[in-house]
Amino acid sequence: MTYMHIGKDFTPPDAEGKITGAARYAEDHRKEGMVFARLLTSPVPGGMVRNIDATEALRMDGVLGILTADDLPEAPRPGNPALSNELTYVGQPILAIAAISEQIAEDALGLIRLDIERRPFVVDPLDSLIEGGPNAYPEGNVMRRGENGMELASLKWSTDAVESFRNGRDPQAEFTTEWSYGDLDAAFAECSVIVEEPFVTAGYPHHSLEPRTCMSYWENGRCYFHGSLQSQSAANAPLARMLGIELDQLCFINETTGGGFGSRIGPYPFMAISGYLSRNLNRPVQVRITREEEFFIGSARSGMQGWMKVGLKPDGKVAAVDLIIVNDGGSTGSGSGSSSAGAVTVVYQPTAMRFRGVSVFTNTTPRGAQRGPGQNEMHAVLAPIMDKAANQLGMDRVAFRRLNAPDSNSRIDANQGPVTSAYMREAIDMGAQMFDWQAKINQPRRNGSKVIGIGVGQGYHAAGNNGFDGIVRIGTDGKIYLHSGVGNLGTYSYAGTVRAAAEALQCRWENCEIVRGNSDLGLPHSSGQGGSNTMFTHTRANWVAAQDAIAKMKEIAAAELGGTVDDYSIGEERVFKTATPAEGLTYAEAAQRAVALGGRYSGAEYPDDINELTALAVQKIAGTGLVGVAKDNLEKNGTAPGLAIAFAEIEMDLDTGKYEILDYVGIAECGTIVHPKGLSHGMNGGGVWGMGMAGFERHVYDPQNGLPANIGLYQSKPPTFLDVPVQMRHAAVDLPDPQSPVGARGIGEPAMGCAVAAVTSAIADALGGHLFNRVPVTPDMVIDHVAQNTYNNKSLKINTF
Amino acid sequence: MPSHDVMPNMELYQPVQVEDALALAGRLAERGWLLGGGQDTYGWLKDRTKSPEAMIDLNGIESLRGVREIADGIEIGALTTLTELANNPLVRERYSLLADAAVKVASPQIRNVGTVGGNLVQDVRCWYYRRGLSCYRAGGNLCYADTPQGMNREHAIFNASRCVAVTPSDTAPALVALDASMVIRSSEGERVVPAEEFFVGPNVDIRNTTVLRPGEILTAVRLPATWANATFYFEKVADRNVWDFALVNIAVAMRESGGVIQDARFVAGAVQCTPRRLVDVENAVRGQPRNEATAQMLGTLASQGAQPLNHNGFKIHLVDSLARRALIA
Amino acid sequence: MNPRLTRRRFIKGVIYSSAAAMSGAGLYLTNAQSQSGAAVERLISINVNGRTRRVDVLPQETLAHTLRYKLDLTGTKLGCNRGECGACTVLIDDVTNYACSTLTHSVRQREVTTVEGLRSPDGQLHPVQQAFLDELGPQCGFCTPGQVVATVALLKSNPRPTREEARQALSGNLCRCGAYDHYLNGVMRASGQLS
Repeated sequence: MTYMHIGKDFTPPDAEGKITGAARYAEDHRKEGMVFARLLTSPVPGGMVRNIDATEALRMDGVLGILTADDLPEAPRPGNPALSNELTYVGQPILAIAAISEQIAEDALGLIRLDIERRPFVVDPLDSLIEGGPNAYPEGNVMRRGENGMELASLKWSTDAVESFRNGRDPQAEFTTEWSYGDLDAAFAECSVIVEEPFVTAGYPHHSLEPRTCMSYWENGRCYFHGSLQSQSAANAPLARMLGIELDQLCFINETTGGGFGSRIGPYPFMAISGYLSRNLNRPVQVRITREEEFFIGSARSGMQGWMKVGLKPDGKVAAVDLIIVNDGGSTGSGSGSSSAGAVTVVYQPTAMRFRGVSVFTNTTPRGAQRGPGQNEMHAVLAPIMDKAANQLGMDRVAFRRLNAPDSNSRIDANQGPVTSAYMREAIDMGAQMFDWQAKINQPRRNGSKVIGIGVGQGYHAAGNNGFDGIVRIGTDGKIYLHSGVGNLGTYSYAGTVRAAAEALQCRWENCEIVRGNSDLGLPHSSGQGGSNTMFTHTRANWVAAQDAIAKMKEIAAAELGGTVDDYSIGEERVFKTATPAEGLTYAEAAQRAVALGGRYSGAEYPDDINELTALAVQKIAGTGLVGVAKDNLEKNGTAPGLAIAFAEIEMDLDTGKYEILDYVGIAECGTIVHPKGLSHGMNGGGVWGMGMAGFERHVYDPQNGLPANIGLYQSKPPTFLDVPVQMRHAAVDLPDPQSPVGARGIGEPAMGCAVAAVTSAIADALGGHLFNRVPVTPDMVIDHVAQNTYNNKSLKINTF
Repeated sequence: MPSHDVMPNMELYQPVQVEDALALAGRLAERGWLLGGGQDTYGWLKDRTKSPEAMIDLNGIESLRGVREIADGIEIGALTTLTELANNPLVRERYSLLADAAVKVASPQIRNVGTVGGNLVQDVRCWYYRRGLSCYRAGGNLCYADTPQGMNREHAIFNASRCVAVTPSDTAPALVALDASMVIRSSEGERVVPAEEFFVGPNVDIRNTTVLRPGEILTAVRLPATWANATFYFEKVADRNVWDFALVNIAVAMRESGGVIQDARFVAGAVQCTPRRLVDVENAVRGQPRNEATAQMLGTLASQGAQPLNHNGFKIHLVDSLARRALIA
Repeated sequence: MNPRLTRRRFIKGVIYSSAAAMSGAGLYLTNAQSQSGAAVERLISINVNGRTRRVDVLPQETLAHTLRYKLDLTGTKLGCNRGECGACTVLIDDVTNYACSTLTHSVRQREVTTVEGLRSPDGQLHPVQQAFLDELGPQCGFCTPGQVVATVALLKSNPRPTREEARQALSGNLCRCGAYDHYLNGVMRASGQLS
């Protein structure tokens, strides 16, 4: 299909500000009379604050006030409260102090006396699951359905079961989540190769580069809130609820966000602090977050301790997968085991599968979504395990993946539901050719202490929702205002998705203006910018809004120039009679008529099925032009999958345990390419994230003291310029998804999953098939393996180096 | 715990004469903080883990900068930045070992301001100690890293004595290999200490990693001509290729003649609290050709006597490998 | 790499004290023997982006703090405040520095350039900025000012770097989004090696 905008590069309007320094992030906003708050955080991994003596601190010149958990609405428990007297991890915020300067606020923190009663704590899920092991909360270590719904409960495994699990066997123990499909035993019975492996993955912090600062102030009963979220409109309703105000009493401003990667999809509890303090003090309050605090409250991926058994039929078909995942849920208990298992069903299409899982609370930082939560850490350990199975069968690893690849008729997940479309085989073929797989695997592998490893890996994440709203406004001057409720998290999807409206309207991009970043500008209800959903979800929403605008213009033209709407077409920013193109109205004229006509044309009236936030938005812009507004009621049947495959060639030095990635090719299967440079960012950035997970990023806790080591970037080790290839390659299948008007699906998360899988696959290949069954694979592990040191990765210890 | 990152109040002195700096250093003693590039300063101060009353900024003292030829070799002002060191023609021409080490430190921006003096006297990086815990080195009476569950992947395999932290410096092993000496001044006068004696382990002084005392300033490093233009080898193995401190590094200077190694100095970093001379290795290679056979002959000599902790056994193999690689590179 | 290996500096010996503002803290004693008396010369001139700015600077104040909070030059970002990310990279006499780990008092008599100082007086983007825009270098943009500034410094000393040289030069600038490839494309374009 030939498009005017879709598939073409453009310069997103926020890019220049990022390059000149003019772009404003939350902390860059200043307000007359603004004061500063700082947090006092927990020194202990478990305990209760019995008393807070802030007398001396409050007596300091320049100190304005204090906010404690007692000043906030009671938070659900267990959870992730903004401030808390119950302490469940080192670094948990206890109180905030506001002062006229940050330095005074910090000085004041040193004068606060806390009386804390300590509690037992635990940082490793298996240390909690084992009989007699400590629980992160007094009531238990897992969430389980009880008399009052989901509640905290204590789940214990026998010492034998834990030992069995640690030694790579099915513990035959109790779980909180279980699902299966197909006849597992029968499927295993058909297999000629069965591989059984334990695995462990680190649950490391997001460490988005912008610490999540908030600034808020109140005027005339309204709260103006500068935040740092991945999403825009998805923030309003929950943030208003958090602050105890109505939707129209909140103006949420978030023009630019310094990364999120899942940790900032919706309002996080910490946002309540500036909101409440600014109301209490009646002054603008900023809470700047330090890097260390970003580690504490910024959440982390959930770690996994697991076991899997995979069976292959003689022809290479994956017949059976039995999977167990114990998630390290941190203080919030959040795990993604079921999503991990779901990813296995998509990428390898096993005939039968069983998943058993439990997410265990530990006294470590809160856990939440992180780029492909569940899926990507699964791919990290899955790829080498599948390689081992394919190798045992004597099958080429790419051919093996091709045989098992999903297509548009595939069924996925626990419920074995349909997909909107899938072209994984095309992606595999494209990548194998671009990477030159055959030549690469046949090259000489050893040169002194150096050895070449070749890897291949896949990524998957559900990549599209539906049912959100779009708004398109045509000004009386003919300018097209594309209202976007999509957040600016760095993917440019806010701009990419409104291109679908521009496409529908067949208008010049130069004549379009994107309206975004401030809810008072009238922004439609939108999905959160998480889960790779935005491209699919909001190209649809923008498309339907544009269709509404087009329909209204045709109605106006038909009323004025005669005929029916069916007699009219659009083009060159005019609506005209198809038979006699000279007869028509410019978009500007149509908009002028719309304003005069009022009603649904000008936004004075709007459809019943749009969200309350969209309705408020339309009210704000009503009468300023022709308003196209609609909810996405297009058909959606099945999961829109984001799929990717990557190939990596590494050169590993067996002396030092270090490796260099010599070549990297990532192939996206995300439907139609909407924005090539944006896609390139998604694929390469995801690639870097995958390389970080494979080799560097870590979560380190001292189990004896419950102390985290990797509070900063240096200890967390996100990859630098010199830890990734000097050049990365990517391409995309570019076949349209039939359930998107422009054919687009998302790719942000699979872009990482395929990369980590390709690198771990290459590491195993370099080491002659040795499986670490662990990420990150760090130099010490390689050295220990080569030296045949007893590196015990079967202990499944988590939160270690 | 408070999570600080704003610089607390303190005074700042910016002397331009070394004498003034020495007077200040002497007067303030422990209450003062010598400021070179500051890259191992601001973290301590922002965290409020260390709370001096005043910083003595040495950057205005021109005599502490630059590389000069002296009668027997060269003298490097302690305030010479790592970038200057890496690019200095004299250093590159005669002592490329030091340039190779300097360019491996941290990141370009840190090398642009970080000084050779600062790189040598920087404190250990044990993460427990840096968190402000009251460990031996901080004046307390326990070590958090050397426990059955301690997270000690980056810690010492040699010569631990209560404290198991290691030297983080990349240039220190190079300077020991080059048999450098350290020029230390105080208001009382000057003393010159061989690099090997400059660094001290916890068995000697658990609070300090060097012999520098309050009131003293490391003003220069002297490199003797003995090792100029020798055969050199430097390698650093770290997790990431930027910012990270060495898991193990090695600096080697060798004199070859008649096809054999006449003399050699092998020095490993990050394996103990001070740069470690690999004396057994040096003895073994003397009189041998620099080749694969000699490398293989070393076996595990470099790691003889190592006592690993729970998570750092890999350093044994790494130091052996790096010693071997110096002979075949 | 560093074109100015031996900078001469003309810094007067002065003593600063921050005691006056913060007597309440009581933690950091003043120096009774202050030679230049209590005359806390906090009001200093610094040259930023070609302009001399008078600004009240605490003795312990970092350059990032002064730039962001006193001169409203918020293009210099604080990602870690620890010298571990590079988002605060500025030029001091054409050399890249972490502004979070530099004392403002140490840059008197020196020329500070922030990302805001790169445009030409007529508002034209600096060629590096234009190249980064053309290549769509940034993702979230938080590290971008630092990347731009580091590239400007690189191209001053090495107008046609190889891709390898470029990544070495930019390696003190972390990009959490992983836009490294795109920034390198920007460097290559800015140096006329990519069209």
